Amino acid sequence: MITRRGFLGGALVVSAPLVVPGLAAAAGPAELAPTVFVRLDGRGRITATVPRPDAGQGVRTVVALLVAEELVVDLADVRVEQAPGDTARYGSQVASGSRSARQLTEPMRTAAATARCLLVAAAAARWGVPVEECEARGGSVHHRDRRLPYGALVRDAAALDPASVPVALVPPQRWRLLGKTRAGRVDARDVVTGRARYGIDTRPRGALVAVVLRPPWIGARAGSVDDAAARAVPGVVAVVPLEPDAAGQGGVAVIARSTPEALRGREALRVTWHGGTPAADSRRWLDELEAALPAPAAAPGPVAFEATYRLPLLAHAPMEPMNATAHLTATGLAVWAPVQDPGGLRTELARRTGLAEADVRVETALSGGAFGRRLDTDVVLEAVACSRAAGAPVSVQWTRDDDMRHDSYRPMSVHRLSAVVDGSGLPTWRAHAVATWPLTIAPQIPPEIIKLSGDQFRYTVPGPVDLAVLPAPIRTGFWRSVYAGHFQYAEELFLGALGQRSGVDQVDLRRRLLPPGSRLRRALDAAVERAGATPPGALRGVACHEDFGSVCAVVADRAGGRVRRVVAAVDVGQVLHPSGVRAQVEGGVMDAVSTVFGAQITVRDGRVVQSSFRDYAWLRIDRAPEVDVVLVPSDAPVGGLGELAFPPAAAALAVGSGHELTGMPLGVEIG
Amino acid sequence: MSRYRLHVNGERRVVDVPGDTPLLWALREQLGVLGPKYGCGVGACGACTSLVDGRAARPCVTAVADVAGRQVTTIEGLSADGDHPVQRAWLELDVAQCGYCQPGQIMSTVALLSRDPDPDDAAIDAALRDNVCRCGTYSRIRAAVRRAARLARGER
Ligand code: FES
Ligand code: FES
Repeated sequence: MITRRGFLGGALVVSAPLVVPGLAAAAGPAELAPTVFVRLDGRGRITATVPRPDAGQGVRTVVALLVAEELVVDLADVRVEQAPGDTARYGSQVASGSRSARQLTEPMRTAAATARCLLVAAAAARWGVPVEECEARGGSVHHRDRRLPYGALVRDAAALDPASVPVALVPPQRWRLLGKTRAGRVDARDVVTGRARYGIDTRPRGALVAVVLRPPWIGARAGSVDDAAARAVPGVVAVVPLEPDAAGQGGVAVIARSTPEALRGREALRVTWHGGTPAADSRRWLDELEAALPAPAAAPGPVAFEATYRLPLLAHAPMEPMNATAHLTATGLAVWAPVQDPGGLRTELARRTGLAEADVRVETALSGGAFGRRLDTDVVLEAVACSRAAGAPVSVQWTRDDDMRHDSYRPMSVHRLSAVVDGSGLPTWRAHAVATWPLTIAPQIPPEIIKLSGDQFRYTVPGPVDLAVLPAPIRTGFWRSVYAGHFQYAEELFLGALGQRSGVDQVDLRRRLLPPGSRLRRALDAAVERAGATPPGALRGVACHEDFGSVCAVVADRAGGRVRRVVAAVDVGQVLHPSGVRAQVEGGVMDAVSTVFGAQITVRDGRVVQSSFRDYAWLRIDRAPEVDVVLVPSDAPVGGLGELAFPPAAAALAVGSGHELTGMPLGVEIG
Repeated sequence: MSRYRLHVNGERRVVDVPGDTPLLWALREQLGVLGPKYGCGVGACGACTSLVDGRAARPCVTAVADVAGRQVTTIEGLSADGDHPVQRAWLELDVAQCGYCQPGQIMSTVALLSRDPDPDDAAIDAALRDNVCRCGTYSRIRAAVRRAARLARGER
């Protein structure tokens, strides 16, 4: 297991043994570890083990806060350690579906509270006083004016039978940190000093570097490979063909001592390609989707308004390009990689290599962003194949060009909505026909599940959602908010367009269509109140969204050709880390600005056109709006967060853009 | 291969690479200086931003031969404890999400404030518009640049 210090503050070289059998070594003589998530050593030092990866969503901080709260210490008193992939030990380790905080809150609180109650029981026994007269705080158990530090109690506490000690959680009304702290994230100091270590920074001793010459058009396969010149490049060690599927997306890997040498080798490689779809064009894909839209549902009256929206391909483009390091030996496999599901990856690697899971070790590095991209295991499979061929540890490094052109993209979609309206222009019925693609990296997700994203519509307007799913002509995957970012974006666009057409104010329209007293209605009111009157000359867009047990309402003001201010009111249930909640909402808003106003992936002649942030028009600071996040007080349980704000923010920006509502992005050709 | 003498964060270092090797890879793979991040390799994202003789530069498109004998400052060269004014501002405002772009954002800000101790919005935009943050921390970055300017002037 890599400790926080070793992991984040260590050098480039990871010197841990390559194959660690099964579980960590048995606990030392003085250690209190009620569950795998929390332990105290004989000096009272507290370590929290974070089972899920952190790609910027802040799960490491949330876990540290939960543990610090229940052990009644400061945040700084909790060391954070990242768990290796091991679902038998840690349960699900997938960071997706805005689930991490929701699913970890109870286990973490319970683990730390158990430790606290055992420490208090040990102290009470030592003093021969009732447990009720003792109190844990600040790293000690107190009784009147005497105290015993946790460290002095660890041995006694560990000897107690946990079942004999009732465990009480700190009630939310007495939380000191959760929901209140002004602390930043636990890795912040490592980030600003350059000590934070990401996947790309993690290299075992003797590791080689591989870059891959990738198919020049979708689905192309390597034919003849002339690698003479590539092998002649100083530093190049091997040239290895990669089979698609078995070894990621396929191509030809150049393995060298360093990245620049591997890149020079790749430039010298001559490969002929065949197969695939060299004529693929994303504009045609949109036409095909539109042609496949389900027939319009029978309306209960005359259809007063109909609209069609087209949504493009989007790349994840995490700031840290895809990379993974693997060392395969005859007896085991070790992988160091920024991934979103280390536990699932370990299982997959065991299956693919024929090794026992106990002989596969997956260490999770910090991820420089993920957004769903790192649920895909392609880069890890490439690293394993390269290590097998080289007989050494190999780090596969994707260039930005590779990353942009060989993603598992957000699917395209086409939406056609139609409405019956009443005398005041409000919809009384609406139908939503959708044509899209499945996620090729998750073929197990059937259309019925995709269609559930249509059920998240919260307005009191009945009507059917009909879905057609066409085979995907390009790799597709999970992209922040997944299909809610299609379905609910389209619904809100349509509502906005209806309001504009009927001359009904965007806020009034939604107030009249949301169930009175609902959480969404309250969030909308909070957003509108914070936003205040529309500034003179500004255009205002509004949208709402509910998902993951949380709700979000967005008011966006645009003036002088750019978005000036976005107010997002969220009810995410109990707030754990306020700065982290705001950050996730801010991030969703910025994604929305990027995608509504320009960023899209297009395919021409079988090839993704965009290759870097020069042409994938992602937002820069000069167009970034001010974002004001309102945390609506809530008694609801901890809700999901990471994917909440994108759909309503995008819709609010679009509705308030002044552009014709064509889909996404606006004001340019889509596809 | 040739040997190049570099001054990195106040230390003399020697690398043995072809002269056209990008400084970024020499720093990261020869010298183990990992703060500057690889984000694009073509000067289009700012993740690698460091200082060469005090000015913001992109090590991914700067050849080692071109910086021989010049002063290279990476994020590691600010303050190991994080108490440089720009680092302090970044901590106060909890700017980072994934953090991957932040060494570059911070170094661009250090270069900006050394030229312009009290930058207005237009100056901030101009200095930072080529630093992409995929996580969308821009509103905090802007606030942190302003805060850093005050801290650097000794204000509270
Ligand atoms: S890595 Fe240097 S600018 Fe992107
Ligand atoms: S904090 Fe993740 S890219 Fe900026």
